[in-house]
Amino acid sequence: MTTEELTAALLDEVRIGLEELAASCTVSREWVIEHVQAGVLLERAGPDPGVWSFTSHDLIRARHLYALEHQFDANPELAGLVVDLVEELERLRARLKRAGLSSD
Amino acid sequence: MLGVARDATAEEIKKAFRRLARKYHPDVSKEANAEARMKEVNEAHAVLSDPEKRAAYDQLGKGFRAGQDFRPPPDWDAGFEFSGRDFSGGQAADFSDFFSELFGRQGGRAAGFHARGEDHHAKILIDLEDAYQGATRLVTLRTPKADEHGRVVMAEHGLNVRIPKGVHEGQVLRLTGQGSPGMGEGSAGDLYLEIHFKPHPRYRVEGRDVYATLRVAPWEAALGASVKATLPDGNVEVRVPEGSQTGRNLRLKGRGIPGAPPGDLYLVLEVVLPPADSPRARALYQTMASDLAFDPRESR
Repeated sequence: MTTEELTAALLDEVRIGLEELAASCTVSREWVIEHVQAGVLLERAGPDPGVWSFTSHDLIRARHLYALEHQFDANPELAGLVVDLVEELERLRARLKRAGLSSD
Repeated sequence: MLGVARDATAEEIKKAFRRLARKYHPDVSKEANAEARMKEVNEAHAVLSDPEKRAAYDQLGKGFRAGQDFRPPPDWDAGFEFSGRDFSGGQAADFSDFFSELFGRQGGRAAGFHARGEDHHAKILIDLEDAYQGATRLVTLRTPKADEHGRVVMAEHGLNVRIPKGVHEGQVLRLTGQGSPGMGEGSAGDLYLEIHFKPHPRYRVEGRDVYATLRVAPWEAALGASVKATLPDGNVEVRVPEGSQTGRNLRLKGRGIPGAPPGDLYLVLEVVLPPADSPRARALYQTMASDLAFDPRESR
């Protein structure tokens, strides 16, 4: 079976906007705006949501936040704190790996 | 799945779900298969916490076992008009076969209804070399489809995805239109692929920077030498500076993962002692011991 080759766009090279981020996480625009305003998503955002652009990292982070809020009824700040800790854990695990030490 | 009785109250279900969600949280759990278990727990919760879906689930009866072909009852659609949003949205892309079949799109149920298809998310593992050169990788996806009898079956299909040069851990690729088909005249959703690297025996990656160990002989480290090093994008001659020690980083600027700017490649020196396994070798070590006034405990 042959299938055509599909070209993938690398987010970060093509930034995604508010609507696209909301659609890809199946949340509302308002959800995204609320989380940016709470400071848990897209730090250093300007006041106009129309010009916000999101990276790969923001997309993964938004999905994490949504899952935590959904699973534990967490508020945005608490979910943000947990995601910060998870990201820190990942960073430290990567450093362990870099030093040749596994985290397992 | 959640370990609750069939007649559990909403509050009991919620409590059981939270307890398991914490236990199997894929980012922190030490349990084997945490990710797969979490998916099951999510599904069970989504079904049991929604009155509509719970009623549908209860009506399925006890005859169904996972792995059997699932045939919707003849009046399947009649009594259950799903309100959609929560289930077709949310984490729907993470749902396993059983529930996708149960609650997946029923295909053009309501005439005149248009909606954009869901976006899907998946993780893919690639080789570090793919990030240096770019590569085409086959990604296998499972989606529900109707067979010739109108039954819903899971169909596997492969996508040949061109991975662009310069991707790194945690970046996301988007394949436009490769998510779920839209309903009515709605456009198809997109497929998002999160990039992770397979563990490599030789290289360690952090962001765009790549680390490798370079083993050197004591005289190469002490006197300096030009040595051959293997990199993901070919071999190079590297100058080991005189007086190097184990742990010294040699930076090869721009030889990490390509991009704008490219990452760097770090060769971490490891001085390896030749074995003292012959009279000649032992004599050389003894000469050093007697001729060099060297105390390694004093040098730090």
